[in-house]
Order: sequence, then structure tokens, then C-alpha cells
Amino acid sequence: MGRFTDEELQRKVQEGFIVESEEDMTETYKRALITQLTVQGDTELISAPAYFMAARDAPSTNTMVSATAIIQDELGHANIAYRLLEDLGVDRHWLLYEREPAHFKHPYGFDQPLMNWAELVSANALYDRAGITLLGDVHRNTSYGPLKRGLVKVSLEENFHLRHGEVWIRRFAEAGGAAKEAVQRTLDWMFPMGVEWFGMPDDRKHHNAQLDFRLKGMTNDQLRRTWLKAVVPLCEELGYDLPAQYDPGTDEVELTYELPCQYDPEARRWLFNETITWKQVFQRWKARGPMNEQYVDSLRRSRFAVERLLAA
Amino acid sequence: MSGNGQVYEVFARKKRADRFEHVGAVSAPNEQLARVYAWQTYDEAKWFEMTVAPRDAFAAVNRPQAPFTLGGPGGRAPSADSR
Repeated sequence: MGRFTDEELQRKVQEGFIVESEEDMTETYKRALITQLTVQGDTELISAPAYFMAARDAPSTNTMVSATAIIQDELGHANIAYRLLEDLGVDRHWLLYEREPAHFKHPYGFDQPLMNWAELVSANALYDRAGITLLGDVHRNTSYGPLKRGLVKVSLEENFHLRHGEVWIRRFAEAGGAAKEAVQRTLDWMFPMGVEWFGMPDDRKHHNAQLDFRLKGMTNDQLRRTWLKAVVPLCEELGYDLPAQYDPGTDEVELTYELPCQYDPEARRWLFNETITWKQVFQRWKARGPMNEQYVDSLRRSRFAVERLLAA
Repeated sequence: MSGNGQVYEVFARKKRADRFEHVGAVSAPNEQLARVYAWQTYDEAKWFEMTVAPRDAFAAVNRPQAPFTLGGPGGRAPSADSR
């Protein structure tokens, strides 16, 4: 490290320079990259127990196979992110087994229980769409060579997850009645989770090292807008109600509620009339959601149990 | 860290006549498990051929350092700022 100053490196990456080794980095670059990769790895990792919880409700052997194939993909993606972190000097054992569950960096949406098949496929349609939006942008724009290569596999597979979700929410919509109602009930709590997925709005966010160092290309609000423009028209076409509206004239999506707002995790309900501050949202994220500990523990339990067996 | 051994680089190609491409890396306690982990992790294509090699087997030709040298084999304990 130390070949460049922050300003020099920022200028170089904006001109297309690709970082391949630690000597190309600055300390600030490395710290921002580690944060980005940790969020990425944790999100992929925690999606596995969340999806697994719902996959137990798979309606047939075939659907169980597609659900577990998605889970295997997600674990592979987590593995790739953690492998890259190892090369940056971060201990994977510490990342996986020694951190407090509350210190994982995945979005709040993945701290929620996924109770059934309708919730699993809705998560594929909304959360995997969010994943593609974020990682697709990183894939196209990142200045870190090893990550750009690592995302080839990830992008291919996330598209399959998204198709899985969209095909299934369409199927539920076409069936109508209780089937459509099951997805609608899920979207009621899940859609605003997706809106929050992209973080604080641009005017609240002071730190943008990830943009300065070209670790990503789009701002939070630009990413959120991309996601909304994919999700909202599709759901409208399928006849689902969302607290948002797509205007084909301007090709824009408007939320029909005020951001930010409060969530009641026990009732699984958004309190759209309770306007709060982003600081309070940040506190809710930090405190983590109801499944945080259980999901992390489910990934650790067997490792230690088997280690004890082997040592006995 | 126990049992994670060393880093293996993974190369694969989709069909005869293709070049081998570097598709990623795995950490494994031995070569046998490295082969299993590589096959399971990098399953995005129906590979005609996949191969793994320990990272420290690579020798630099035109640069001072071998490729893939970031951080070296395995992970180190995190420094305060990586936590």
C-alpha cells in the first residue's frame, strides 16, 4: 500500500484504473472495500437460513429442489465474498463464527421470518431483484478486479432466482382468490423492506467513499429508483396493490407513503402514519430484527456440535 | 484458523479448444476437498474441464510478484479497522 494518495487513486479509478493488488490501494480504499464485501457476503449468507425456513413449505419435490438450489447458490456467493475478504486480511472464521449476530451487516429485511412458499417466492421477486440491482451495478462499475471477476457467477445465478420469484408470483396472481391474497399479504410488509434495502437517501448520507473510489456506480437513490421501476410496474400488471404508483407518461415511480416510517415486527405491519426520522430507522436496523440470532445460530450450531463429537 | 488449510486457485473451461479461465479460489485443508469445494462453488456452467492448483505454486514471469498474492494463503486475524 502507499503508491497513491486517496486523491490520486480516486482520479485514477474514475478514469478506468482497475485495482488488482494491495499495493494499488490506499487505507481508505481498503476499508471501504472491506465494508462493501462484508455487506455483500453477510446478505448472501443470511438469505440461506431465511430461504430455508420458507423452503420447508415447498409444495412438491420439484419445488423443493429449486428452492434448495437457490440456497446453495446463495451460500456459494457468500463464500466468494468471504474468500475475497480473506485475501484482504480478514479472518473468515471470525467473520462466520465469532461476530455477534447483531454485528452482521445484511439488510433488516433478512432479519424477518419467511413463513411459507408465497413468502419465499415474493422474497425471490423483491429481494433478489434488489440484489441484482445492487450487484449488477457493482459488477459493471467496480474498480476492484477480483470482485468484478467474482461477480460473473453471482450475476448469472441471481437472475435465475429472480425469474423463479416472478414466475411464481404471476402464478399466484393468475390463480386469484386465496393464492393471490397470500402474496398480497406478503407484499404488504415486504415491499417497504425492499424500499429501505437501499439505505439512507442521498441527501442524508455524508459518506460516499464507495462512489469516490468507484466501488459502485450509482447512488442509493438511483439504485432504489431502478428497483422501484422494475418491481412496481410488474406488480401493477399482476394486480397486486403496492403503496406506490407507476406513471408510464414520465416513466417514474412515486411512493404513496412518506419515507421513513416505522415498522412493527411483531405485528409484521408498517405504521404508515407514524413518520419517524432516519436516525430512528438506523436504530431499528442496528437493533436488528426478530430472526437475527436464530438465523446466525442455525449456521453455527452444527459446526460446534460436530467439533465436540470429533474431539471426544 | 483451524482446518482451512490453504488457498487453491480454480481454473475451468466450457469446451475443448477453449482457454482455461481463472474462475475463482477456494480455501481447503487438502487438495481432495479443494476439488470438491471448487466443483460445488463454481457450478455456474457445465464445465468440460476444471482444475485446481495451490496458490503458492504459481511463479511470476514478468512481474515482481506471483499473481493472486493479496494477503497470502489463508486469512490473518483482522486488524482493528477491518472489524
